[in-house]
Amino acid sequence: MPEPVDQPAVEVRDLTRAFGVRKALDGVSFSVPEGAFLSVFGPNGAGKTTLLKVLTTLVAPSSGSARVCGLDVVEGAVELRSRIGLISHNPLLYPDLTAEENLLFFAEMYGVERPEERVRELLEAVELDHRRLDTTRTFSRGMLQRLSIARALLHRPDVLFLDEPYSGLDPHAMDILDSLVASIRQHHTFVMVSHDLEKGLELCTHALILAQGRVVLFEKREDIDERAFRATYRSVVGMGVS
Amino acid sequence: MGSLSWRQFKAILRKDIVMELRTREMLTSMGLYAILTMVVYQIALVEAGEGLDVRLVMPGLIWVAFIFMSMLGLNRSFVHEKDQGCLDALLLAPIDRPVIFLAKFAGNLLFLLVVEALTLPVFAFLFLQGRAGFGGPLWMVALVLVGASIGISGIGTLLATISVNTTGKDIMLAVLFVPLQYPLLRAAVGATFAAVIGGPDATASFWNWMGWIAGFDIIMVLAAFGLYEFVIEA
Amino acid sequence: MKRGYLAEVMLVLGAVLTTAAFLMTFFWAPPSVYPDGRVDFAQKIFYFHVPVAEASFLVFFFTAFYGVRFLMTKRKEFDVKARIATEVTLFFVLLTMATGILWTRVEWNVWWQWEPRLTTYFIMTLLVIGYFVLRNSVEDEERRATYAAAFGILAFIDAPISFFITRVVQSTHPVVFKSGGLEPPMLVTFIVGQIGMLMLGYAFYQLRLKEEELKERLEALKIGLGG
Repeated sequence: MPEPVDQPAVEVRDLTRAFGVRKALDGVSFSVPEGAFLSVFGPNGAGKTTLLKVLTTLVAPSSGSARVCGLDVVEGAVELRSRIGLISHNPLLYPDLTAEENLLFFAEMYGVERPEERVRELLEAVELDHRRLDTTRTFSRGMLQRLSIARALLHRPDVLFLDEPYSGLDPHAMDILDSLVASIRQHHTFVMVSHDLEKGLELCTHALILAQGRVVLFEKREDIDERAFRATYRSVVGMGVS
Repeated sequence: MGSLSWRQFKAILRKDIVMELRTREMLTSMGLYAILTMVVYQIALVEAGEGLDVRLVMPGLIWVAFIFMSMLGLNRSFVHEKDQGCLDALLLAPIDRPVIFLAKFAGNLLFLLVVEALTLPVFAFLFLQGRAGFGGPLWMVALVLVGASIGISGIGTLLATISVNTTGKDIMLAVLFVPLQYPLLRAAVGATFAAVIGGPDATASFWNWMGWIAGFDIIMVLAAFGLYEFVIEA
Repeated sequence: MKRGYLAEVMLVLGAVLTTAAFLMTFFWAPPSVYPDGRVDFAQKIFYFHVPVAEASFLVFFFTAFYGVRFLMTKRKEFDVKARIATEVTLFFVLLTMATGILWTRVEWNVWWQWEPRLTTYFIMTLLVIGYFVLRNSVEDEERRATYAAAFGILAFIDAPISFFITRVVQSTHPVVFKSGGLEPPMLVTFIVGQIGMLMLGYAFYQLRLKEEELKERLEALKIGLGG
């Protein structure tokens, strides 16, 4: 486990995101240090996706503020975008491009220097070197997920956002994803949105539960009383689907 | 930043061309649509017989085919961006939103022009042989094609970005697209007509219509360009 | 609540003025005559047709105006205002079309003529309908508002271009009120009708807005109780 440094990597203050009277996020505040792994839990419609979108600069806060890597998500959006990466349950890859073409394309989007070299390096790291000339339409779910991790790492981001990365993966693909995440754990801060309580608790250094756009619970991993935590989680999810 | 934008522009355009050459989705569907339209035109005109001067209706027929054909391509051009959430990945990159507009616009314009250039001779071959043919010089026709296609692709790129996120994408694009394109189509038909008829009067009328096309292109494409950032981030 | 009061006053005033204009049209304004001396009774519909048409375009301006305001601020209230302005536009545009069609039937003996202004209004009707079709097919509220704003702005820019381009082809639309050639009673009747119609437009807009604001407050209360 990396030693958390004091400067917050993600800092959210009184964040509200509303349209008319409906509030997707309502006064959310928390912060995690560099090197942390934050797991965000909550039922559907709790505001997890909105929080992720605010932190990744895709939507602006209605009020309050959010800073990632010390950069404001609104004012510093352009600079911030080149310092964050997203791994989603959706591969975010073009099925009709080859693995290599996909990575080269996104390398251009980020203005990566010497893109060919970087792409080769990453293809090797995710063990897809032998399939680099195949279109990703022919890839299995697990391969797509590995390639999408390579895509997210192209520009050497400081903070990685994970949006339900485990959903739809078979156990083998999950293991590969686990070891990949573990191998980059040292140098990155993670924010993961998940339904998977076990996985989320296993990986995290900090845990956050959202319900109806508000923070129900925010604790460091070592302070968490698992039984109480599970009970809280079940109470906000309702029927204890977890 | 300028050089990065240029890299991004080239990369998006190149990606669209590579994907299109690989799948030929847009070109085949648009080309097939144009050919099928010609079959329908043959049926539509059959009772009019030999007495009909095809040159009088041809400009209109051409643009009917092209306007509907263009919508097929426009729809396709954003469906594959949505497929696996690639549009989100694009938005996550440090890219100025107008660059996305310009690149998609350029790609759509390119594909539209290619299909137009391929189908127009076929159209002339099937319907104009043995008749008066083109009265005016061919570059006039080419100029109308380019001018009108700029407007079609510019507004089309914005509207396709909207319609891809609606229920009933295809019909939605038509509902928004056709009435907005009314002035452009009117001018395109006028200019094509002048080019086909030929003669000094027609040349004056041609430039008058081209003026309308240019004006429409400038105003509407600028508006689409300005609105694009809001639409793509919504 | 002051604004709501104003809306109701405008509604009554607008109703009085348009009714007055209606009576003036038939009992006061001199009939227009053809060059051959026959009385042109059908012309009287223009005392209604023209004010409605002008009101429709004026209200449509607010669709675009509030569309811009919405995109700048992302505040829902501007989306609501733009939508209501478009509703009122639709109402006026349809009235314009209906009175136009009645007139072409009497004067030209056909129900429909692809004549510049009718064509423009036909296109405008389609644009306004398109605006609502678009709204109905986007689920996310904020996205819906953004798309509607963008389309409303484009449509507002597009409509005058349609209007002018159709006029390039020679217009058969009557120049109803020639400048300078209008007798004072005709002019006064027309102006009274125009002011009345604008007041009605304003009243419709404000009353609908009030209704929407009430709905919004109800929504807020519901959420307050639920949370």
